[in-house]
Amino acid sequence: MKLLSHSWTLAACVGALAWTGPLMAQQKQAIKAGTVITMTGEPIENGVILMDGTRITAVGKADEVEIPWDAEVTEAPNMVAMPGFVEAHSTDGTDRTNETIDVAPFFDVQDSINPVDFFFENCLRYGVTTVNIQQGNNTVVAAMGAVVKPFGHTVDLQMVYPQSGIKMSISPKSGKSRATQAATLRQAFHDLRAHLEELVEEKKVGNDRARREALAQGRDYEGEDAKGRAMTGKGWIVEGLETVPRVEIDEKMAPLLKVVEGKMRVFMYCGSPAEVHTAIEIAKENGFLETMTFVLGSGCHKAADAIAAAKVPVILSSNLVHIETDPLTEEETRTFEAQVFQDKGVTFALTSNNSGLESLWYQAALAVGQGLSREDALAAVTTVPAQLLGLSDRVGALKPGADANVVLYDGDPLSMRSQVQHVFIDGQQVYDRANDPRLKHLLEGEQPKGTQADPDGAREESAEDEGSEDEDESKKDD
Amino acid sequence: MTRTHTFAFALALSIGLATARPASAQEDQANNDGKVYASVLHTSAGETLKDVMVTFADGKITAIAPGSALPDGYAEGLVLTAGLIDLSARVTRSENAVEQTNEVESRLSVANSLDLFDRTWDRLARSGVTTVLATPPDRNVVGGLSAVLKTQGSKDMAQRQLNARNFLRGAMGDAPSSGNRPAWGSPNSIYNRRPTTRMGVEWEWRRAFFDAAAAPEYPELEFPGADVFRAVLAGNITLYVQAFTVIDIRTAVFLKEEMKREGFGDIQMWIDGGSEAWKDAQLLKRSNTGVVLSPFPSAGYSPERSFQAWRVAKDLDEMGIPFTLSAHGRTEPGRTLADQAGRAMRGGLSFEKALAAVTSAPAAVLGLEDRLGTVEVGKDADFVLWSGQPFELTSRIIGVWVDGRQVQ
Repeated sequence: MKLLSHSWTLAACVGALAWTGPLMAQQKQAIKAGTVITMTGEPIENGVILMDGTRITAVGKADEVEIPWDAEVTEAPNMVAMPGFVEAHSTDGTDRTNETIDVAPFFDVQDSINPVDFFFENCLRYGVTTVNIQQGNNTVVAAMGAVVKPFGHTVDLQMVYPQSGIKMSISPKSGKSRATQAATLRQAFHDLRAHLEELVEEKKVGNDRARREALAQGRDYEGEDAKGRAMTGKGWIVEGLETVPRVEIDEKMAPLLKVVEGKMRVFMYCGSPAEVHTAIEIAKENGFLETMTFVLGSGCHKAADAIAAAKVPVILSSNLVHIETDPLTEEETRTFEAQVFQDKGVTFALTSNNSGLESLWYQAALAVGQGLSREDALAAVTTVPAQLLGLSDRVGALKPGADANVVLYDGDPLSMRSQVQHVFIDGQQVYDRANDPRLKHLLEGEQPKGTQADPDGAREESAEDEGSEDEDESKKDD
Repeated sequence: MTRTHTFAFALALSIGLATARPASAQEDQANNDGKVYASVLHTSAGETLKDVMVTFADGKITAIAPGSALPDGYAEGLVLTAGLIDLSARVTRSENAVEQTNEVESRLSVANSLDLFDRTWDRLARSGVTTVLATPPDRNVVGGLSAVLKTQGSKDMAQRQLNARNFLRGAMGDAPSSGNRPAWGSPNSIYNRRPTTRMGVEWEWRRAFFDAAAAPEYPELEFPGADVFRAVLAGNITLYVQAFTVIDIRTAVFLKEEMKREGFGDIQMWIDGGSEAWKDAQLLKRSNTGVVLSPFPSAGYSPERSFQAWRVAKDLDEMGIPFTLSAHGRTEPGRTLADQAGRAMRGGLSFEKALAAVTSAPAAVLGLEDRLGTVEVGKDADFVLWSGQPFELTSRIIGVWVDGRQVQ
């Protein structure tokens, strides 16, 4: 009787799971691969990756890991398994990446992500399974970004980690000078401080304006935010903030308070070495130095000492080699920037050059070509970006407890001749090269039935051919 | 206005450089004898040799000794190949390099507009390219005659230029007509000219050929440079036509076939670009037309919105159509000529074929197969030394020799 009821429960469970449809892979699975690059140590020959549902449960040698009897086994003796690559910062996959409002931390990039953008399809094709999507660089304080996986028909299904950090820029957005840019950035924090002080002052004298406003706007007095909380932070503190329920703080400023309290990451775009010091200063003033990551333009290696001293990690420009020409002698100086940052002990991640072939694998391969060790180059597109996003436990490495994101290659992942064959995200196979009509189009030429040519590709390539003849004109990303 | 300034500045710079470097004569006398060691030598002549010492003297290879012991201080695993050859290096970028007042300028030679002091040459050399075919750019229909030269060497054009086959270079398609506009309704400028359409471009080509062919009989049709077209019809000069889309490739091939049908002559033709050659490879085969492939774009789209499927090099190879690869002068990491060979391999071409397409095949097109394109005794000492498997992104070029002199 007891046994029976147990199996009934089991059947009910299975039914419920089946009901949730193909989005959740709840089975036990094992991938047996010729080589497993775990990113936690040496690659494993004849390795096994065990997955239960959406998580990895074990990784090891074939003779050391026992495969459960009920696991579905994928045999890939001639393939190389890797954790999916992690894109530390990207503005792709969104519709219009730049906002005209200077200070807009209350926006959320979730609202501009287009889940069916070609970019996400290309991510799978080139083995990227985690992307931190941020607003463009043409901003002062931009929207909150989001970490997503490149699979799912809605943003919710793609979501790994919402509000992954706020994008800021210390490089002048169009129409601003360097000085006004810095002043606008500082002013945003002054405004926040003034607002908080005003709220505290109003509470002291019994003015209920903020409460009435919050209620009129329909904000919910629920959970933690219904109460006041003393302010923390390493930059500055407004005394008495515990008297103000958090929900009464102006919604347009609330995300910046999280920044000052060190609870929201900052991705600071810095296009020129001249701006590094100002950015570090502003970060110190407002207490977010430890939660800041630089998104660098080409040439910022010149400020590597200051960056190293401030212990700020960096996301490098996709332009791996910085070229500078002496105006008199025309002598060229070529600097492989990753090497400079590595020598100074700065943590660095690499980014894609475009949403096509020149994805993270390509950048890592080029970095090896320029002299970086294989381990460091691979780390810069897997474990390091995972660490910068605070997701080391979940992505960037094949280890127990991590998300079941696995990419299978038919050869060395950094070889021009290798291709991604299969991609698993959260334990579900989301890409199979045999069923990729658009890759077939790229390789074989015939436009598959029911598909359109990639309009982004056409635009990108023609722009490339027009403008990129001269290398030393540094391009400003947006 | 800006353009004038830039040009004036560049001119001032090159004059400054020319006077600032009196030592160039001494550089020319520098030693060009020496030895190169490598663990693997791909000769491009069908052989792969192990542990090789290549000796050269006076810029020519004098001995190749496999099984040689690696001297102390040399790294293991280095790979040696012949210097790479780019038949569409696009070293003439500025509009100053093409005559824009006339659509057909077959008299002019690009040799007179190349800037040997430009840093492009060093960039190309460092990316492994040791020889290029320089041609006028595509701002008019027929730009002029070509020049073949090493990427390093004398700053004197007469000394630098190789005695190779000559090419008359022009363009089909968008490029020569884009930007042109009719003379009415807009301010008068150099762009008020014809052709403004693809048809117009093709018409300029045909008129030039017909006039040149008929001029011996009807002297009033003679035009400056008609003799060059007659040399093309006689097969003494190769016709080199830029065409990316399949319609432009067809137009070019049909022009060639028409000339043959009319009894004017059998044109030797090469297509510069050929992104969509895969759509009608049979036509190229039938007309014995070769292709200098445009660089492989990462999302498939080449200039003029043509679609370059990655299999194109493999297709041409399988059908026996002569082809070479090109980087269009790009030298940044990942876009060099070596990387194009890597990309062709991603599209299915074998390593040997990819190597041939950037060494021995282009050497043969230039008629310089006796001097260039392979590592054999008696050939020019043009080499590339790689840190690992050539054409992989993870390998880097650690040494380039041109005429036995190592590029700095």
